[in-house]
Amino acid sequence: MSTQPTLPAPRNWRTAGLLVPGLLLFSVVPASADRLAQHFKVEAHPVVTVHNPNGLVTVRAWTKSEVMVVSNRATDHVVVDAEQTGNRIDVLTRLVSETAAPEDLRADIEISVPEDAELQIHDDSGGVNVSNVLGDMNVETIAAGVDLEDAAGYLTVKTVGGAFQCVRCAGRIEVSSISGNFRFIDVRSYYVRAQTSTGNILYNGEFLPNGTYRLKNYSGVIEVRFSPSDSFDLSATSLKGKVNNQAKLDPPSHHRFLPRFGNALFGSFNSGRASVELNSFNGTINILKRD
Amino acid sequence: MSTIGCNEFLNSLGDWMEGERPSAALAHVRDCVDCRALAGGLEAIQRTAPALALDDPAPSPRVWSAIRAQLEQEGLIRTGSRGWAQALGSWLDEIFVAVPRPALAGAYLAVLVAVAIAFSSPGGRRVNEARWIDRMETATQPLSAQLASAEQDAVSSLRVSDPSVTASLHQNLAIVDNDIALCEKSVREEPENEVARDYLYDAYQQKADLLAQMTDRGDDGP
Repeated sequence: MSTQPTLPAPRNWRTAGLLVPGLLLFSVVPASADRLAQHFKVEAHPVVTVHNPNGLVTVRAWTKSEVMVVSNRATDHVVVDAEQTGNRIDVLTRLVSETAAPEDLRADIEISVPEDAELQIHDDSGGVNVSNVLGDMNVETIAAGVDLEDAAGYLTVKTVGGAFQCVRCAGRIEVSSISGNFRFIDVRSYYVRAQTSTGNILYNGEFLPNGTYRLKNYSGVIEVRFSPSDSFDLSATSLKGKVNNQAKLDPPSHHRFLPRFGNALFGSFNSGRASVELNSFNGTINILKRD
Repeated sequence: MSTIGCNEFLNSLGDWMEGERPSAALAHVRDCVDCRALAGGLEAIQRTAPALALDDPAPSPRVWSAIRAQLEQEGLIRTGSRGWAQALGSWLDEIFVAVPRPALAGAYLAVLVAVAIAFSSPGGRRVNEARWIDRMETATQPLSAQLASAEQDAVSSLRVSDPSVTASLHQNLAIVDNDIALCEKSVREEPENEVARDYLYDAYQQKADLLAQMTDRGDDGP
């Protein structure tokens, strides 16, 4: 199934003539830095796993039934292995030198996958960018930020300090962090669950009928933007902080126990078809009209 | 509005974890913060366990028995006195014998302390504040000690080449510790505040998760 690794085609002399002086001028580029491209034929719903401790991981969907892994490593202190087992491709960056400086361990990886691919990505620092992939994905990072665009499926993201942004995502989204900020922009998801400790959360997307949206933090700001046509049941509680609301809410249609502690707000906007729960310990919750 | 109470729900917890979701139980979980937190914690372990089991060699299942015995000894959990406790215990044993992974110890502890915090006081919110505080401290002090010990191990074994990652882990550990301190203060001030208890439980779980991640990095290196 797999094809042999292919090195990029040699550049022509004219290009080389332009590049050589450039490389001499910008000598900060490590002499041993290199680029490697590997191709793997896959069937429907392939699984791609990436374990890259330091560097940028970029994943894009394309129309080929093939996975292409292009790695750029800073130095030869690290090796990027890509292997195929059945319909799964495993990409692993590993250290081969004990004496390397932290900046020598960086490897940037670009991966092209079929749009139905399932992704599992671990990246401690650097960043993770995924676009147009519709399969399920699980991303875990420490300090690396995670940017998803036009993703769907069951998306689970966990960072320690890395920020998370999701633009035009659909499907089911579960994201957690300790200090990362979250931004949900133009999201069309029926289930969003987001929890961060000190991070801010911005939700500026649709509330789909029967959808569930649960946003929670300890401190920081939770901001939700709504449009006049949205329809949701709202529950917003900040135990020690404020709740600011611009939505004209009807009293809840069903009986519920009002909390005896904190600042809380309950009610229905339009017919209350989606469920929106916003919770903060001592942060501020803003429910604002969309511009 | 739910038609069953906490005890009834807890007695059927085993069925719940097997996927049986009768409408009465669903309604109860929707209305009851404590039961929702407990069920959520157990489901998180159930979801995570199979994936984690693939990667790690199995240390002795005695680890789990030892943790369980210690928690029983310290009064965090009880055996024999209530049906649901036994059911929960055996369900956890099943999961953790199948997935004996050190990193999950924190999650195990977090779930158990949630049970302790939420249900150690029969009669719930009607008991007086002093009793609540007493029970809360009984429940959380051993856990704090366990987490402190786990933190020492995790920090000393941490081997990450990238200083920005190490800094991030330490910085976020400090954030979680601060959250725990704030929540504990809040719970002491308002012992019957179930929302504060919910946040405290979440903060403990976050710390357990973070320590597990740090331990992983100690085991795996960069």
